[in-house]
Parts: sequence; C-alpha cells; structure tokens
Amino acid sequence: MAKQKLIGRYKITGELGRGAMGLVYKAEDPALGRTVALKTIALSDDEPERDEYRKRFLLEGKAAGRLTHPHIVTVYDFGEERDIAYLAMELLKGTELRTRMQEGAIPIFEAVDIAAQVAEGLGFAHEHGVVHRDVKPGNIMLVARGQAKIMDFGIARMRASDHKTSTGVVLGTPRYMSPEQVAGSPVDHRSDIFSLGIVLYEMLTRTAPFAGEDSTQTMHKIANAEPVAPSRLNPEVPSLLDFVLARALKKDPVVRYQDAYEMAADLRSCLAEMRGRVRAGGKEENPAKDTTKTMRLESVGGRAVVAPAARAIVSDTRMPLSRQFDSSVAVRRLAAPARKDRARLARVPGPVGVWRRLRSDPGPRLLLISALAAGLLASCVISG
Amino acid sequence: MATIPGATAVRASVTFLKIQDFARRPVMDQMRLRAQLEAVIAVTIASLDESGRVVLDASDGAAIVVFGDPRGALRVAEGALAAGAGGLLLSVGVNHGAVQLADGGKDDEGMIGDGIAVAANIADFASPSNLLVSRAFRDALADAAPGEEACLVPAGVLTDPGLRSHELFGLDRRVAQRRRTRFVGLAAATAIAILSAGVGARISAEGQEKFLSGIQARSGAYAAGLFAKLKFWEAPPPSAPGGRGRAPKDKSRG
Repeated sequence: MAKQKLIGRYKITGELGRGAMGLVYKAEDPALGRTVALKTIALSDDEPERDEYRKRFLLEGKAAGRLTHPHIVTVYDFGEERDIAYLAMELLKGTELRTRMQEGAIPIFEAVDIAAQVAEGLGFAHEHGVVHRDVKPGNIMLVARGQAKIMDFGIARMRASDHKTSTGVVLGTPRYMSPEQVAGSPVDHRSDIFSLGIVLYEMLTRTAPFAGEDSTQTMHKIANAEPVAPSRLNPEVPSLLDFVLARALKKDPVVRYQDAYEMAADLRSCLAEMRGRVRAGGKEENPAKDTTKTMRLESVGGRAVVAPAARAIVSDTRMPLSRQFDSSVAVRRLAAPARKDRARLARVPGPVGVWRRLRSDPGPRLLLISALAAGLLASCVISG
Repeated sequence: MATIPGATAVRASVTFLKIQDFARRPVMDQMRLRAQLEAVIAVTIASLDESGRVVLDASDGAAIVVFGDPRGALRVAEGALAAGAGGLLLSVGVNHGAVQLADGGKDDEGMIGDGIAVAANIADFASPSNLLVSRAFRDALADAAPGEEACLVPAGVLTDPGLRSHELFGLDRRVAQRRRTRFVGLAAATAIAILSAGVGARISAEGQEKFLSGIQARSGAYAAGLFAKLKFWEAPPPSAPGGRGRAPKDKSRG
C-alpha cells in the first residue's frame, strides 16, 4: 500500500474492503477533485486466465458505465495499469444491507421498500441488457434517507453473452443463486429476480428460505424445495407478500416475474396496503454465519456440480396446514390415534368380493333379490 | 422438516384443487382467486366430519385430506368443480394413498406423503374444469361403497415426474345411471326367465291343457271370491234410527 500510491490517475487514500476478485480502495481523482471507490482486480500471471479476468472486468466496466440510476452505484471510469485493472465508482457513505440485517430485524415496511428500490434498479439494468448475477445483501448499500443502491456488478455480463465463462466456471453466491444458476443452465434477468426474492425473504423472516448445512445442500434445496410462506414464520408479514415472494421464487423462470419492474410494482402495492400501519420489529436472533461469499463452482463435463438429486425425481411433498380452516381435531386424532382407529386409518382397501358386491352394490343386489323372488314364485308354480 | 412422534402413516383420500394458471397471474388476481377457493372449500367441506379431514395449503391451490370417506372426497371434488361456474377455474386430482403428519418447525405443521404428491401430479395433468382420479382412489371408493366406482371411467395413463405410471379415471355420472338401468332390465329379464322356466317345468310335468284349465279354474275361483268381497259399490243397508254408521247385523245370516 505504501508503495502503491497511484493507480491510473487515482491517488489511493485508504482501503475499503475486499471484493470478489480484488481490493476496493478509497481514492482521490485529482483531475475532478472527487473521492471515488476504486475497485481493483489483480491480474493473474497465467496468460489465458489473465485475459479472461481482464475481459470480464472491462466488460463489467462498459456495462456498468451505461447504468445511471438512483438505485445503482455510478461507475465513473475504468482502466488497466500494469498488473491491475481498476474501476472508479461512486463512493457511498452508508451501510451494507448485510450488516443491517446482522444488526437486527428490519421493519417490514422498510424491508419491502428496500426490495422495491432494488427491483427498480435491476429493472433498469435489465432494460439495458445487464444481468447482475450476484444479487445479495452484501451487494446492496443503504445510504442516506433509506435509499438502496445495487453495487458490484462484479460478475455482471451482457445478457446476450453465454451463460458460462470460457474457463468453465459458474459464478454466484450459493445461498442467493437461482435454480438455473445452480443447474448451470442459461441465466437471464429472471435469475436476479429469484435472488432478490431470497434477499427479501431473509429480510422479512430472518431465515434463509433454502438454508442448508453446506453449499451442496443449499443448492439442492434451491433446485427442489418449496420455501415456507414468510407469513408463517413472521405473522406480521401481510399475505400479499406471500404471493409476491411465491412468484419471485418460482423454480421455473417462465412462471416467475418476467420483469423486475413488475415485481417492484407489486411491492409498491404492498407498501400502499401497509402504509399507516405501525409495525414492530421481530425478535432478535443470532445472525447466521455468513455464507454469502461469492464462490466459483467448478464445472464437471461442461455442467456445474448440481445438487444430488434432480428435481424431476425428488420433490418436496410437504404441505402446510391451512390457516383458514381449523384442522386441529383431525390433527389430534392423527397424532395420537386410538389402537382401533389406527388400524382403521391405516387399512389398505382390498378387492370387493362377490358376496360383498351382492350385499352392498345396489345393482347386483336388485338382480339377486329379483332372481330369488322369481325362483320362489317358480317353485310355487312347479309344486302347484 | 420431521415427522411428528407418535404419528403414523395413514391412508387417506386426497382431493387436490389446483387453480388454473395461478402462477402466471398478477398478484392481485392471485389473492382474489385464493379467497374464492377458500370460500369454495368452506362450503364443500361442511359435509365432512371435522375429525376426518385436514385442509392443506398448496402454492397454487389446496389439498383436502379425507380419512376413511372416499365418497366424501369425491363429493368435495365435484362441489369444487361446480364452483367453476363462478369464475374459479380449477383442475382436480384425487388419489388415495399414504400420508403422515410432518412438523416444519416454528408451529408449522403440515402433511407429507405419496398420497398428496400423486394427487398434485394428477391435478397438474387434468385439463381445466376437469376431475381425474387414480386407480388407487377408484379401488378405495369401491371398497367403501361398492358400485359407486361405476361412475369413474378410464381416462388414460399419466407418467409422473418420478416416471411412475398412474391409471386415471374421469367422472361420468351418466355411466352409473346407465348401469343402474341395465341392472333393472337384467333383474326383470332374469325374473321373467326363472318364472318361465317354472311354468315350463309344470307344463312338461302335467300337460298344457291341464295346466291351463287348472290356472283358469283357480283364477276363476279367485276372481269370483274377489268379486264377492268387493261388493262395496252396492247400496249400503239402511242404518238404525239414531245410529251413526254401522248397519245392524243380519240376524237371519248363519
């Protein structure tokens, strides 16, 4: 640091943190006299890898440079010097959403407002052909007056580009990946909508919808499990948000929100419905261990390492009890059935025998009765 | 998710009500349709015993698990389909299979089981405003109420995402009506045949003439007796003075 005082024309004044691929500095732009955040990427010694990194970085710079929106961090400049590529962007003073979530429960109104802002920002980026691919609390900054800004289009790529890098890696954060990312399928803007759905779900419930013990289990759940409705975990969540999240978290992109603006509009409708209500914060919980670091998932034979079982074969059949209808009497009966009842409930239906059919089926019974009656009459006739 | 201690797997009829194209609709529409579905369920499950049914939420509909009453499950399915006239387009799948209580944690009980999964697959397969049932349900219905299963007619085979094949049946009440009519006709024909056989046997034993004259004599005597008893149209005998109804006994008789 002491040695490296300048990167390009930017004068380094401090270190802000570490991004997915390099350090982020606080720097001064002497030409314009403004303070910027300078995101750097250390280029590898390996020539093909270096080219790939450089290519991605510059692509990001170009893509992000086109995005000027109140909910997206502004990119001023990008370039390359010696072994370092850099990106100069707006320096934000605020808190990362991840930190805010770790500090305590976010009131529902605020959480929905943040998600609506992010959805609008994503909608704008998608309109310009840029998919973020790594939407997560760590990439959302909360600045003054509750404004949310999406940061780090670090792995954003042009929508028209191929879904995979040429080195055969899939990028993303397992906890916030979409099913298509997990499967290594082509990814489009609807993948960001899924990831935003997870972020909102976590803000509302303080629970990860697809929590697993490790990345593989998490990805398996993303591909297979249906999340519990948020209002079941936090009764203060209005039911309208259940519908919004259910739609955002659909496994099949075709039935998900097709547009981030559409999701933003629904979230705004929720806000309108909630306006005026006083919402108390949820109970404090220990924030889960941070598993939100961007990971590289090595591909196997051209496909990413997927969850153990395919969705087609195993599906989560669990369905929650309806809250609209009281099923407690039946549940009590099932939880502790009497011995006789247990046998009755577990009885497997058997084939219906001839005698039972003649006794219980109205058609054959009528046939039998009429035959018997006719037989009786006939015997009277015969005997005189 | 874990199963609840003490709760065992039971066999139940599962009626899965799926709202058509639910996922593709705007959220406001989804809320409206969900409310409509809940109203329909409230009406249709009213006839079921409270200890014999559990209502489950599904992402695009609901499942009603009915214990020991396949007829009730079918009734619910039919009632819900009838609600299609009110603008709620449903497809319905009914199955009979294993289900079990499952604990999702945080007071979030639910049910799991193949019975539910297959019903959901069948509902997915069913066309709008259509009801399909599995072979297992048909067997359960036949077991519970023999003859009722006649209204379930073959409707094809479904291969589910787990590559299992399910024989499906559709509901056609007219088939059951036709079956009843057939049985009535068959019963009448059988009775006539048996009687004819009896008459034939008698004729072959004593000859046609004797049989016919015997029948004539008996029927003549019977007709005369009947005629004598039914003289009610003759003028009633004069009633006793001051008497109110009964005629005095004819003392000359006997």
